[in-house]
Parts: sequence; C-alpha cells; structure tokens
Amino acid sequence: MNQLYAAVAVGLVGVICIMDSRMLGRLSLERPLIGATMVGIVLGDIPTALAAGATLELMSIGLINVGAAMIPDMNMGSIVATAFCILTGAGPEAALTIAVPVAAFGQAIGLAVRMVLAAFSHKTDVLIDQGKFKQALHLHIIWGNVLYALMYFVPIFLAIYAGTDLVQAIVGMIPDWVTSGLGLAGNVLTALGMALLLNIMLTKKMALFFFVGFFAASFLSINVTAVAIFAVLLALILSDIKFHDGGSQLAAQSADDYDPLEDDD
Amino acid sequence: MVEQTVGAQASETTELKSLEPQSVSENKRLWQFFWRTWAIQASWNYEGQMNLGFLYSIAPTLDRIYADESDPEILQRKKDAYHRHTALYNITQQLNSFVLGLVASMEEEYARDPKNFNPEVINSLKVSLMGPLSGIGDSLLEGTLRIISFGLGASLAAQGSILGPILALLISGIPKALITWFGGKFGYTLGADYVKQLQGGGMMERVMYMASVVGLMTVGAMIATMVGITTPLQFQDGAVVLQDVLDGIFPAMIPLAITMLFYWLLKKKASLTVLLLGGIAASLIASFLGVLA
Repeated sequence: MNQLYAAVAVGLVGVICIMDSRMLGRLSLERPLIGATMVGIVLGDIPTALAAGATLELMSIGLINVGAAMIPDMNMGSIVATAFCILTGAGPEAALTIAVPVAAFGQAIGLAVRMVLAAFSHKTDVLIDQGKFKQALHLHIIWGNVLYALMYFVPIFLAIYAGTDLVQAIVGMIPDWVTSGLGLAGNVLTALGMALLLNIMLTKKMALFFFVGFFAASFLSINVTAVAIFAVLLALILSDIKFHDGGSQLAAQSADDYDPLEDDD
Repeated sequence: MVEQTVGAQASETTELKSLEPQSVSENKRLWQFFWRTWAIQASWNYEGQMNLGFLYSIAPTLDRIYADESDPEILQRKKDAYHRHTALYNITQQLNSFVLGLVASMEEEYARDPKNFNPEVINSLKVSLMGPLSGIGDSLLEGTLRIISFGLGASLAAQGSILGPILALLISGIPKALITWFGGKFGYTLGADYVKQLQGGGMMERVMYMASVVGLMTVGAMIATMVGITTPLQFQDGAVVLQDVLDGIFPAMIPLAITMLFYWLLKKKASLTVLLLGGIAASLIASFLGVLA
C-alpha cells in the first residue's frame, strides 16, 4: 500500500478522533477502540484493527481526562500502533509496545498545545476591548480547532511516513526533566486559573468559606462533589440564620451589623 | 459584607437602560445551546480551561441583547458581558448546556433590569454549579456509562465483531446527545422562572450569599484535589521526606501556597503574561533542580 496514502488517511482518522471532544460533544470517538477501528477501515484490515483496539481499550479504560490532569494519550498511541500492526504485518500483540511510547509523546505535545492555547485567553480579552467580537470568538472556534487538529495530524502523519524508529528516537531525546517540568507547569497554570477566580470572588468576610472548602478536601480527603453538596447545605442553613424570613427583621439586623469603616476590598 | 457590595453595585448601575433581546425562535435558541455546547472544548487550555468555549456558547445570546453597537453605552455593556465570561470554567461537557440555558436567561434578565440585578451573581452561579455538576457528570457519563459501553464493546471486538465499536459508540453517544439537548431546554426554562423570583425582596442578596459560600468552598476543594503539586526533596539520606513532613501539617500545602502566591501577585497587579510565562519557566527550573514535581 502506498505509504503516503496511509500516512494521510491515518492522520485524518486522528483528526476525527481529536475533534470528538472539540466539536462533537465528546461522544467517545476519542477512544482507542474507535480510533483503531477507523484505522482498520481506511487501511482495509478490520480484524487486526479490532483485535488491537480491544487490547488497547481494555488497557486504558481506566484512564480518563478529568479536570486539568493529563494522562498518556492512549488514543493517539492506539491509532499509530494499529496502523503499524496492519502496515508491517506484526500481530496485534505488538500494538502495546508501540502504543505506549507514542502515548507518552502525545501527552507531552498535548501539554504544550494546551499551554499555547492559554495565551488565547489574553488575546481574547484584548480583542473584546477593541470591540472585535467576531475575531475574539474565532480564536476559539477556528484557531483552537486548527491547533488541535495539527497536534494530531502532524505527529501521526510523520510517524507513519517515517517509521516507528524515529518516534522512539524523538521520545528518547526529550530529557525527563522537560517532560516532568511540563507536567508540573500544567498544575502550576491550573493554580493560576484558581487564583484568577479567587481574584473575582474572594472578599475578607467570605474568605473563611474558602478555607473550609480547602481543608475539608485536604484533611478529610472528601472529593469536590461532596464538598459542594455540604457547601449547598451549609449555605442554606447559614442564609436562613442570616436573612431570617421577614423583611423587617432583615433590615433591623443589617443596620446593627453595619460598620462604615469596614473595607471589603 | 455581601449586602453592601450588592448595594454599591446597584447604585452604580441605576442609569443603565433596560434592553430587550432581539427575538429568536425557540428551536434556533436550543440548537445554538446544543451545537455550541458540543464545540465548547475547541480551545481547551491550561489557564481558563473551557472559558473561551463558554464565551463562544453564550455569544449568540449576548449578541441578541446588545445588538446596537452604535450606542456607546450598549457597546460598553457588550464588552463587559463578553469579559464576564472569560473567567475559568470547566464542566462535564454535556452538562454545559444546562448551565448555558440558565446563564442565558439570567443575562437576558440582567439586560432588562440592570438596576435590580447584580451581574456578579451570574459568575458566582457558574462557579458554584461547575463543581457539583462535573462531579456527578464525570462519574455518571465518563466513569459509569463509558466503562460499561466500552467494556462491552472491547469484549465483542476481541471476538472479532465489528458490532463492538458500533455498540460502544451508540450506548455512550446517544444518552450524551440527549442530555445535551434537554439540559439546554431545562436550564433556560428554569432560569426564566428562577430569576423572576429573585426580584422579590432580599432574595438576590440571599442567592448571592449562598452562591459565594458554595463557590468559594468548591474552589477551595478544587485547589486541594486538582492542583497536584508535590516536592520530591529528601534530607539525611531519605530519613526526612519533606512531603511527608508537609502532609503531617496539612495535605495539599504546596498547591495552596502556589495559588495564594499567584493571588497575591494578581492583587499587586502583576501582568498575566508575566505570570503565565514565569509559571512555565519556574516549573521547568523547579523540575530540573528536583524541588517540585
């Protein structure tokens, strides 16, 4: 089979998969089983693709992107690995050894792209100030998609066109501290996002609730959902106490509480 | 205190005029909620996560409200509204349409009655909903539905059946599409009823107070659980592991410290670009020196 056709076709399968979360409501096209099956369809070997896809799906079924955490990109890994199994005639067992390094590479490039996209937030604010509303939205719907599509198409195309040795060599060349440093940066930028939220929401009087939520999750290891449910209940109780039910009572209360020197910041 | 903030906001906005959104058919509105929720992750990024996606999804509503850009007041209010929706936001994708419907009806109500409606309540509501809804949505859709459908799909595929991937897609995709569609419808109707009640005496302050309690507690919990930064430092040949010492005082101390450092720098009016690039550079250095991981 023509190497160029294979590289382009498999690259486009990658683009369809990455567009699942971007444009198609995360319908789960972006899964090893589906990616592998589509590779099987374009390369004309569905049985091998199904076998490889099933193995890789079961291996990575526990991996999901929740919140901002990045995980090895098994989706990209399985697309490339399935294509290699079909193109080189290696059995589906070989899929795993190829998928894992590619997934690690996909994770690194995914981190990099999502960082570049962080700059879009600032660009968007600037465009809004200039009244260029349409262009501000285009950053999201056009350029965001283009970057994500390239992030999948280029590495997959090159991997298929140039061969696995190259992929492994490139992955081997990136020092560990860069990979882990980028992982760390992902978390640090999440902290920045949280700080931006606090910058809008936090007032001196309400700061206590922030710490209640933090320590509930940190000390008691309860998850965000549980904290949120308790927070709703706490808010209901406190607002009952604070605002009572009658309007006149409320007015009397807040007059007592009122302190003209108080600085809300 | 919250009530005072509300009061101050309201007096500032007394001169704003009431705006009626351009009319649109119910179906078109719901399709916009649906399709733009599908496309919310097109620019998912590390800083604002789905922020630009939410802006994209609320944009048609804002454009219908602030249609007349030739009026300087309306243009300014349109800019403020757009800026309001570039704050950090992240949610189980399919549940966004519900929040979107709710926020759309609140934006419309705010435009009609800027005197009595504090726009801060819109962002507080978004922040207080994203935690609980994502918790439920991720565990239900990604944790349960996907694992069931793909577990079944992979086992059929392993037997060589093409039905495996097809069934997996249908079982996980159809409920997700239905939730996205009806979520938008439900959110918009609920929002319209709900904001009318808010106009009654003191309710707004109360909701504002509750939303900031829930929002702040959720953000606190998110910092403790989602900013996974630790230190690999050890002293005396591994006899003293710094992370264990820190965890002994309180867990997730480093994430809190780094968030608070950013918060402090933001209060000092540090430039966002500097913080962004500085954060990446500092991460690479800290990782190279083995200080943080």
